[in-house]
Amino acid sequence: MATREAGKKMIMLKSPDGMEFEVEEAVAMESQTIRKMIEDDCADTAILIPNINSKILSRVIEYCNKHVPTTGATGAAASDTVAPAALAEDLKIWDAEFIKVNRATRFDLIQAASYLNIKGLLDLTSQTTIDTISDNSLEEIRSFLSTKNDYLPEEEQTIRRENQWAFQ
Amino acid sequence: MAEPAGERAKPLLPGLPDEISVWEILLRLPPKCVLRCRAVCPVWRRATSARGFLLAHHARQPVLHLLYGYDFVGDDIESLSIVPFDHRAGVAAADQLHSVARLAHDSSRLHDCFLLEACCDGLLIVSVQYPPKLSICNPATRQLAPLPQLDGFMLLGMYPHPPTGEYRLLLYLLPTDLAPEAHDGSYVFTLGSGQPPRHIACPEAKELRHSPESILFRGCLHWCIGNLMMAFDTIAESFRQVRSPVGPGYSHLIEMGDTLGISSHSEEPASVNIWMMQDYEGEVWTFKYRVELPIAEIKEQFGKSVDYWDVVAVPWDDDVLLLVKFDDCLLQVDIHGKLVASFCRRGLGPTNLRIKQTLVQHAFFPTLEGYVVNSLPFV
Repeated sequence: MATREAGKKMIMLKSPDGMEFEVEEAVAMESQTIRKMIEDDCADTAILIPNINSKILSRVIEYCNKHVPTTGATGAAASDTVAPAALAEDLKIWDAEFIKVNRATRFDLIQAASYLNIKGLLDLTSQTTIDTISDNSLEEIRSFLSTKNDYLPEEEQTIRRENQWAFQ
Repeated sequence: MAEPAGERAKPLLPGLPDEISVWEILLRLPPKCVLRCRAVCPVWRRATSARGFLLAHHARQPVLHLLYGYDFVGDDIESLSIVPFDHRAGVAAADQLHSVARLAHDSSRLHDCFLLEACCDGLLIVSVQYPPKLSICNPATRQLAPLPQLDGFMLLGMYPHPPTGEYRLLLYLLPTDLAPEAHDGSYVFTLGSGQPPRHIACPEAKELRHSPESILFRGCLHWCIGNLMMAFDTIAESFRQVRSPVGPGYSHLIEMGDTLGISSHSEEPASVNIWMMQDYEGEVWTFKYRVELPIAEIKEQFGKSVDYWDVVAVPWDDDVLLLVKFDDCLLQVDIHGKLVASFCRRGLGPTNLRIKQTLVQHAFFPTLEGYVVNSLPFV
């Protein structure tokens, strides 16, 4: 297996469109799916990540790079020098910027996070959609879904009545 | 509901596989929002009504401490708000106290307000005072049914019975109570069974009549009154005494992950002692903290007239947080005795109950006489 910088283990990730990404093993192991492959010794020289194109995969790696616990080769954890609260605040700002993408990209990221089992990324990417559903009216949700109202008026009335308190 | 052909092919969220829409999006919605979503379109309704979805949704819900919130009209209590206290990290202060449901009592008897008695998962036992009449209620689905077969019994606790999947109530009957021919002692009642409470003897439970709420821990209900601590094995249906580290006074049990704790204080608390059970089988307790309440600061900020103090310790991260009711304010005090937040609202106070909301339909509700859904006493 390739090594670089003071013995850090490197892993090659391959997207189905033929791009290769060399990442630190610790970064790749932010994905529980990849972690399991590595721990089960299924990861030889390169891991093919099916269904995730290079554009999305590079963004996922960007996220993992940022979120990997920062105990570096210097021996000192970054949290020794920077207050954990400040570090968390910095991550939050970074996350907010990271998620400023269009819906199609966000949905691709949700699928990638789900397949690769990266909890933080999944929480982050799904939250925007959850907020959209939580904070908007039925009409706005339907327009977000680009769907028309499939209910007959009386059907919708019945369902609204059954769950009336949820609309207050 | 008639479905047009091809309905099945319509995705829940265009651009996402349905599996991900269900398990990563819809499942993460708060309970009230799930109900609202059923009106979006038939495919959403079907997805959010499936039993498997509702069970998984329940499993994801946080366990939150319950607060009671009495709502006043003038000086009369009009209703009881059931308020889960959402103190998870990241929840804005304004969103910490959303009432799930409100129960109004019979307006002709203003002092007969509802009390929160017991909670198990998302199901609550509420009572109307004097003489206590118990009802079972799911605040998230606005279902309630009276339990008249329990009139005269005192409620000791509520628990799930894993072998059968039933919810059961542990009760106590005094010999002087309504039915003189009945045996005194403990009884077990299964919700929805149609059978009267079953006598299991265990007279030693008499001491627990006046105890605060029970805590379910490792399959046993636990109580602590002053320096007496008892446990009820819900499978073997037997009581045992547990060694308690505290002396006489007020004591409450706290469940902190896989550890049981006790908070204790005197009648006019200046400080609260927190003990943790280091070894459950060996009944070994360790003293964790003595929290000095910032009384001078509290009195200065929130008024000097004291109705009463009520202190409940709730788990908070790996520690505890004290909820202190002082006059018309609910204060949060951390283990260092620092006042970290305050909610000023008349009639708001802590309970020792915890709720994990559920939208799962329980089959017993519709079988109970007097069952209501989303109508009085819900307001």
